[in-house]
Amino acid sequence: MDIKDLNDLRSDFEALQKSESEACIEGCVTDEESYDDYPDYLAAIYTEVMPPVKSGVYFSRWDLKAMAAELDESFALDVRERMFKRFMQWVGTPEDMKLLVDEFKKNIDMKCDLYREYSEKYPSSKASFDAKITKAQNAKKYLDKVYVEFFT
Amino acid sequence: MLKPTSSEALLYFYNKLSKGSIFMQDEILSAQLARMNIYALVSRILMNEVDEELLELILNDENILSFFPNLQTWDKRQEMSTKDLIEQYLNVDFTNLFLLHLVPYESFYMREDQMMETGGENPVQQLYNEFDFRVELDRARVMAGDHIGVELEFMFKLCEAEYKALQDGAYDVAADIAKIEYEFLKDHLVEWAPLFLLNVKSEAGTALYFDAADLALEFILSDFEYLNQRKESDFKHLAPQESK
Repeated sequence: MDIKDLNDLRSDFEALQKSESEACIEGCVTDEESYDDYPDYLAAIYTEVMPPVKSGVYFSRWDLKAMAAELDESFALDVRERMFKRFMQWVGTPEDMKLLVDEFKKNIDMKCDLYREYSEKYPSSKASFDAKITKAQNAKKYLDKVYVEFFT
Repeated sequence: MLKPTSSEALLYFYNKLSKGSIFMQDEILSAQLARMNIYALVSRILMNEVDEELLELILNDENILSFFPNLQTWDKRQEMSTKDLIEQYLNVDFTNLFLLHLVPYESFYMREDQMMETGGENPVQQLYNEFDFRVELDRARVMAGDHIGVELEFMFKLCEAEYKALQDGAYDVAADIAKIEYEFLKDHLVEWAPLFLLNVKSEAGTALYFDAADLALEFILSDFEYLNQRKESDFKHLAPQESK
């Protein structure tokens, strides 16, 4: 084995380590479940609204289930991403999408109300909560934009 | 309707620590000891399932139980043994909240891809390494050092180190440690723990975990409030000779 082989082996090992160190804590969806067969807005919402760091809000599995229940839709608790896709698959008409967007916005508003309560009670944390509220407002605008662009 | 906290008990504690108070050495130490104890308690509850020893400690200590207003009046307590409560209710709730349906790891909340960083590149792990804080993941039964229970234990260790420095009269060292506590809360726990803990509160199926999430959230934010006030004096306590 020469030095080049050793270097290749090291690169492969480092790549493997890197991929293993990024775990799908919520469960991974498989390649077959990629967004290729879905409309663009689904991937867009998953990328722009679902990550807490982007929307300032954590939509848990129970949140998704509760939002769906408000629309008389029911699905089992599962991998969060898969639950999100099932919820989006429920959308059949522009009216459905409007209802779904409204449910997301209601959840966001409910959490922002809690952020405001805590930031009033603990002023030193206000900057952190305010940043989340700003992100949440942007997420709501993004949902409206998706609705207008894809459903009207 | 669930009672809204533990706040009153915390308020009493922080009133003692409020800005401008003149402390004697014993008062400083007892307040610091209280911070350590609360960090240790919430870290333990949020890290692993409760065992009979811990549950009995909570139920039998009036001071600790005052932080758990809903647990105090939980009707199941009268009907079942501690062992049955744990096996039939608390372990089920812990599994739902911390292992199955919610994510107690910081990286999930801070990364755009919503993945968890379990390797050495985890920024929290890198910080622990700087302070020689070793996390035994297998013993703690967590997947990464940015688990909420581990981050709270790190705060406990910092508070413990500050306590020892205060005991030794090393006030500058204590101030340096308090600054690290402040920064860790600001950059980590205050940033992400509210997102997780608010969901624990709304999804908890037992009084213990509702109260524990509420206590953890209120304590993290009130401790940050306290450290932010100390920041104005470069995190220094008045030394006893100055306070006389």
